[in-house]
Amino acid sequence: MDLKKMLKKVDEFKIITLPAIFIVFILFVLILGFYFFNALPAIERYGIDLFITNVWQAAEEASKEVYGLAAPIWGSIYTATIAVLIALPLSLAYAIFVNDYAPKKLKYPLIVISDIMAGLPTIIYGIWGAFILVPLLRDHVMKFLYEHFSFIPLFNYPPLSGYCYLSAGILLGIMVTPFAAAIIREAYAMIPSVYKEGLVALGATRYETTKVLIKYIRPAIISGLILAFGRALGETVAVSLVIGNSFNLTYKLFAPGYTISSLIANQLGNAVLYEYMTSVLYAAGLVLFVIGLVINIIGIYYLKRWREHVSH
Amino acid sequence: MSPIKHKAIRMIKDKIFLFVVGALTLLAILPLFHIIISIVLKGMPIIMERGLTFITGTLSEGGIGPAIVGTLMLTFLATLIGLPLAFLAGAYAYEFPNSFIGRATKMLLQIMLEFPTILVGTFVMGILVVPMGTFSALAGALALALILTPYVAVYTEEAMAEVPKIYKEGGYALGCTRAQVIFKVVTKMAKKGILTGILIGMAKVAGETAPLLFTAGGLYEVYPTNPLEPVGAIPLLIYTLVQSPSIEDHQMAWGAALVMLIIFLAIFVPIRYALKDDIKL
Repeated sequence: MDLKKMLKKVDEFKIITLPAIFIVFILFVLILGFYFFNALPAIERYGIDLFITNVWQAAEEASKEVYGLAAPIWGSIYTATIAVLIALPLSLAYAIFVNDYAPKKLKYPLIVISDIMAGLPTIIYGIWGAFILVPLLRDHVMKFLYEHFSFIPLFNYPPLSGYCYLSAGILLGIMVTPFAAAIIREAYAMIPSVYKEGLVALGATRYETTKVLIKYIRPAIISGLILAFGRALGETVAVSLVIGNSFNLTYKLFAPGYTISSLIANQLGNAVLYEYMTSVLYAAGLVLFVIGLVINIIGIYYLKRWREHVSH
Repeated sequence: MSPIKHKAIRMIKDKIFLFVVGALTLLAILPLFHIIISIVLKGMPIIMERGLTFITGTLSEGGIGPAIVGTLMLTFLATLIGLPLAFLAGAYAYEFPNSFIGRATKMLLQIMLEFPTILVGTFVMGILVVPMGTFSALAGALALALILTPYVAVYTEEAMAEVPKIYKEGGYALGCTRAQVIFKVVTKMAKKGILTGILIGMAKVAGETAPLLFTAGGLYEVYPTNPLEPVGAIPLLIYTLVQSPSIEDHQMAWGAALVMLIIFLAIFVPIRYALKDDIKL
């Protein structure tokens, strides 16, 4: 009798679900700890130089190995920034067009197209980027800019192969645009219609109406772009196929470069041959982990605050 | 400036704006059509030339059969590992949205959703591939499961949150326990949304490459049988073939990309259309 009573007090739901929650949390802590402990030997050996210098000397003898991750860290941030700069006008225009201007028949297909683009396997972007986009950009955009505008420092690197920061940035921009567009579109759709009606009643043109409404959803736009930045930062295979994979620390758009994730993808396979390289790559992973974590927490926080603000 | 001129300028601005917005929208979706057309144009000839061999043959016979089976095997195993975890975590986040653990769980799931996939792969390599001494389908599936879990969990949570509260109250009024109400009533009501989440999660992980780089290993000459041995996957095969200098390998890569695109669109488009009502406009 007593046992039965006690059993009734125990919440079966919690007993069933808590282990799963526990596993998820443990996994997350485990991943963080794993990266930290594996990165430790490299951080201890090279100190802060590991993150602020640009060298890559793999040697048979451990004493001659020197590594510095400045170039891939810079490359990751630089390409993701280019991607966001491309995604900003495209995703904004898309959100405005789908909500306000698109004919009814077009709205739904436009949304489905954008969703397909957001979910398309990244390797498909990769193969298209490597064989179609890069030659196209090299022959029609980069060569033109290099020949006529090379007095601007951004453009004065000869575009030999076309595999460079710009190609990676543009490909990433195409990949993250639908992602940012979905967030902005939903926010735009949530604007109470009284605002729009009021503006129209005041005699505002469509352009003027949109200009005001866009200001209203600014937090959602910012969070969409931050999350898109985070996604661009973590992208691996598509980038590693178009960025050129070389240790260049430059702002020049046509120079081949490296990102953290493409560095890991390319080097981890043979890193076991060297004493410190594996640890250095895990340190690079740790940097990516931390930047990604901070960026995504800020983005998710902003988005959550915006949603709470709207639902009032 | 006269008022009439002022109005004309405003109207011109309006027209320019409309044109710019339309043009940029077109520019945003254009890549998809370009991608589909280029893959069909480049992939079709190789598939036509090799016929059924391309789908069933091994790599040296000029086919991608083992990679297709490998992708199916990895996706199936990943779902098997990730699904229970995802469903339970999602149900918890739904039931306790205001408790500390509930909020933390939801936050964590959202963070994991955005987590760089290559880091998941290298993590699984460290904890599973290195100790086992070999690449394996199990390691690949575990990495994919870690990516699938937050997807399915977030979808589960959202689908359950859509169920009207009154059904839950009805369940409690009949004297059901919390577990009965959630697993029997709410889950059944949210079935469609949860299933969609599972399918989208599966489509997502079936197309992943980065987490498989250091876990699955690749196997293209024989069909995979043992989950503890290396396995191939279509995306992984494409990635390897693209990096090869040989033109023939590139052709194979285009063919494989076409197969993958067809599979992806065949799963994704019907799901998206089935969800038509869920889109806010």
